[in-house]
Amino acid sequence: MITVAPQVTQSSTSLKLDLDNLSTEQTALEIKNLDLYYGEKQALSSVNMNIPKGQVTAFIGPSGCGKSTLLRCINRMNDLVDSCRIEGEILLHGQNIYDKKVDVAALRRNVGMVFQRPNPFPKSIYENVVYGLRLQGIKEKRKLDEVVERSLRGAALWDEVKDRLHDSAFGLSGGQQQRLVIARSIAIEPEVLLLDEPTSALDPISTLVIEELINDLKNKFTVVIVTHNMQQAARVSDQTAFMYMGELIEYSDTNTLFTTPTKKKTEDYITGRYG
Amino acid sequence: MEHNINKHISGRFNQELENVRNHVLSMGGLVEQQLNSALDAVSNGDAELARKVRENDYKVNAMEVNIDEECTRIIARRQPAASDLRLVVAIAKTIADLERIGDEAKRIAKVALDSLTKDQQYLFVSIESMGRLVSKMLHDVLDAFARMDVQKAFEVHKEDDKVDREYEVITRQIMTYMMEDPRSIPKIMNLVWSVRSLERIGDRCQNISEYIIYFVNGKDIRHTSQEDIEKSL
Repeated sequence: MITVAPQVTQSSTSLKLDLDNLSTEQTALEIKNLDLYYGEKQALSSVNMNIPKGQVTAFIGPSGCGKSTLLRCINRMNDLVDSCRIEGEILLHGQNIYDKKVDVAALRRNVGMVFQRPNPFPKSIYENVVYGLRLQGIKEKRKLDEVVERSLRGAALWDEVKDRLHDSAFGLSGGQQQRLVIARSIAIEPEVLLLDEPTSALDPISTLVIEELINDLKNKFTVVIVTHNMQQAARVSDQTAFMYMGELIEYSDTNTLFTTPTKKKTEDYITGRYG
Repeated sequence: MEHNINKHISGRFNQELENVRNHVLSMGGLVEQQLNSALDAVSNGDAELARKVRENDYKVNAMEVNIDEECTRIIARRQPAASDLRLVVAIAKTIADLERIGDEAKRIAKVALDSLTKDQQYLFVSIESMGRLVSKMLHDVLDAFARMDVQKAFEVHKEDDKVDREYEVITRQIMTYMMEDPRSIPKIMNLVWSVRSLERIGDRCQNISEYIIYFVNGKDIRHTSQEDIEKSL
């Protein structure tokens, strides 16, 4: 006799967040009425979204839809583009990161980023990981060793490199290099980790390793990922945002977006139809 | 949202979905034919036709296996999403129900192989009317599937109540008959099973109508009251 009712429906609904009304504890980032212009051209128009804490949020959309631009706004990478002008707010801990008082270096320590192509520094594996800490002036060897091991374990790379920590990072494979870069980002313990197509230059197996890693990372960090690979978004993310021509078209939990999207544009994009 | 399966960037994907849909329709056609033949065989006492129905069941089974394979292949190779995914899931479930309807038709045909006496034959009359009702349900649900017509699917969904009512009436008739003549029970049992089969076919048509609504609207309306379904459409 069945005495315990199956919990399937219950747990799957409790996982589903109300993205429009997240509580303060649930929220990592709030994007409010964000407009972005490159010169005259508007690249993002009034984007509003709440990114929940400790979860994986994916941005998908066709090339040039503004998903990378939006991601780069979150740690102010667009500041480096001269013609770029931003209106609206992105709130981290309730504070607008575009406020004049904000220290951009501190912001980027808190919001780490990993790019499409692995970009290790021309140094040893060990030095790559502790780079951020050395910049912060930390010299104590025991502390550095500890961070190297923890970060490399966190990036699922420790077992593969523990015997050659002082070899050049360039000797690693592409997938290992990408995990090293992730280890470097998490060494300084950011709250948010931005991943800009982190697997598009990797082979399928390395891709799966990174995807597995993303799943582990979300226990400690808020992960925001831009990907061209829709199946990847479907596999790794909890929330998915579909963007098209600078607008946020649909943003919902990944299960809903990939089975019953509400907007025609989303449906057409994820099923591979003509727009 | 309208669903046009012919607009994929990949022409071959279009073709695959189109094919699998057509195969479901031909499977549906075959099952419908099986059911109607079984009902004809019973009402005319046509043992030859009944045997044919029983022999042809393997075709229905083979179609189910083939379509299942097609669905698996599409999932593996195309990773369908949204309405495409719902279509493949709806098809995989529909053919399972169609196959079972085929089995029920086979069971019904068996009755025609029994030699019932003249005074038992009157029981057939009520089976015929229930059979017509169920056969129409199957026809309509296949039609709704071909057009992916939610309204029509919902009509079929509602029809099942009628079938259930008929089932009760006939069961009562048969029980009365059996009480009057207990020696007839061994023979009558097949008749009981076939009435039960018709009732089950009604349920399976109802299932298929639910898959159609799931595909088109993305709403799972199983185990939902008729009023709530109507509201959600």
